[in-house]
Amino acid sequence: MEHGKHVFRIVILVAVILAVVLLARGFLVPRTYGLYGRYRGANVAQQMDARPVLYAGAAACADCHSDEATKRAAGAHKNVNCEVCHAPLGAHILADGSVVKPPVDRSFTLCARCHRKVAARPAGFPQVDLEQHVNGPVEGKVCLECHDPHSPKP
Amino acid sequence: MSDCHDGCDGGRREFLAGTLKLAGGAVVTVIGGSALASSSSSPTSAPRPGGGAYDWNEHLWAYLIDTTKCIGCGSCARACKAENDVPDGFYRTWIERYVVGSEDSHVDSPNGGMDGFPPVQVGFVANKSFFVPKICNHCRATPCTQVCPVGASYRTKDGAVLVDAESCIGCGYCVQACPYGSRFIHPATHTASKCTWCYHRITKGLKPACVTVCPTQARQFGDLKKEGDPVRAVVEHDRVQILQGHLLTEPQCYYTHLDKEVR
Repeated sequence: MEHGKHVFRIVILVAVILAVVLLARGFLVPRTYGLYGRYRGANVAQQMDARPVLYAGAAACADCHSDEATKRAAGAHKNVNCEVCHAPLGAHILADGSVVKPPVDRSFTLCARCHRKVAARPAGFPQVDLEQHVNGPVEGKVCLECHDPHSPKP
Repeated sequence: MSDCHDGCDGGRREFLAGTLKLAGGAVVTVIGGSALASSSSSPTSAPRPGGGAYDWNEHLWAYLIDTTKCIGCGSCARACKAENDVPDGFYRTWIERYVVGSEDSHVDSPNGGMDGFPPVQVGFVANKSFFVPKICNHCRATPCTQVCPVGASYRTKDGAVLVDAESCIGCGYCVQACPYGSRFIHPATHTASKCTWCYHRITKGLKPACVTVCPTQARQFGDLKKEGDPVRAVVEHDRVQILQGHLLTEPQCYYTHLDKEVR
């Protein structure tokens, strides 16, 4: 009987631990954990709505700016999304419907990002040795004074 | 009795503690296992707030990069930063420039390539030079989700590897586990952050922001479950490469015309 008492104590202790573990698990494990796998299932839908869509694509810009869109689609920049130079549509038409004038970077750096002569660019891609092109330092020069970015000519 | 009091009691106490730990562990395992087992019979389409139509069982996304088309303009990295509010100094996608000679090679990525690339001088004879866009490979057998101790990192049914910032404890194991350097600890939230393939866009029928703005179509995004998908056609019928294939992570970001120098 003396030994039976020891076993009884252990059984009670294990039962208490079990209850504590179950209780803690109920509080600590997220409700949708394990719904699809070893993660919180509700997060999938949260990721879908994590943030607003900013980049809408050139087709969306053409809804209002058909002149520029037509011109661009016929030229060498036909595959260049408007938002590459003009910032995303989501920063132009805000969520509340208000319109903000998009930034137009008129500095040479905008054009240089794609067209400055860099050895790593594909050989067939149009590149310009900027200093040679303007016969001197390129800082302060404005490519857009001669080149139309919506329908560029070499 | 008193002679062996210390030794005996200490031994019993240790034994009890060990037993209880084991019992507790077994209970957690059993309950955890049953919870997972019961989940497999529940509906398998992701819950869609607002009754949206996206069904993740119908898609399996893949990314395709043609390195010969990349001009290193950095539009992708800038768009990613704007679309996903990526903090300064961290990159969910970036562009690397390789300058390779027979003696030596040079790799750089100034500000992730976000401001473009200035011409570079190297101290060896360069034979070739090219750009390589980098992004999370959304591996099918990804080490980053395997090491997560709290189940915050996971792969969706449609193939995107995501981080649940609410569950993440910011331990950084996944950052170390990723062989591609695609993850970082967000300086504001102190949780792991990474490319989501713009999950908020692709589940609405749009392309990731980086693909949307790429002016040379060096970056493409497609659906391996969709008939006639251009990316699927290339992955199935052309010769495609992956990064660090020896690690058996099964990347879902495929490359064409990859150089042997690229890791």
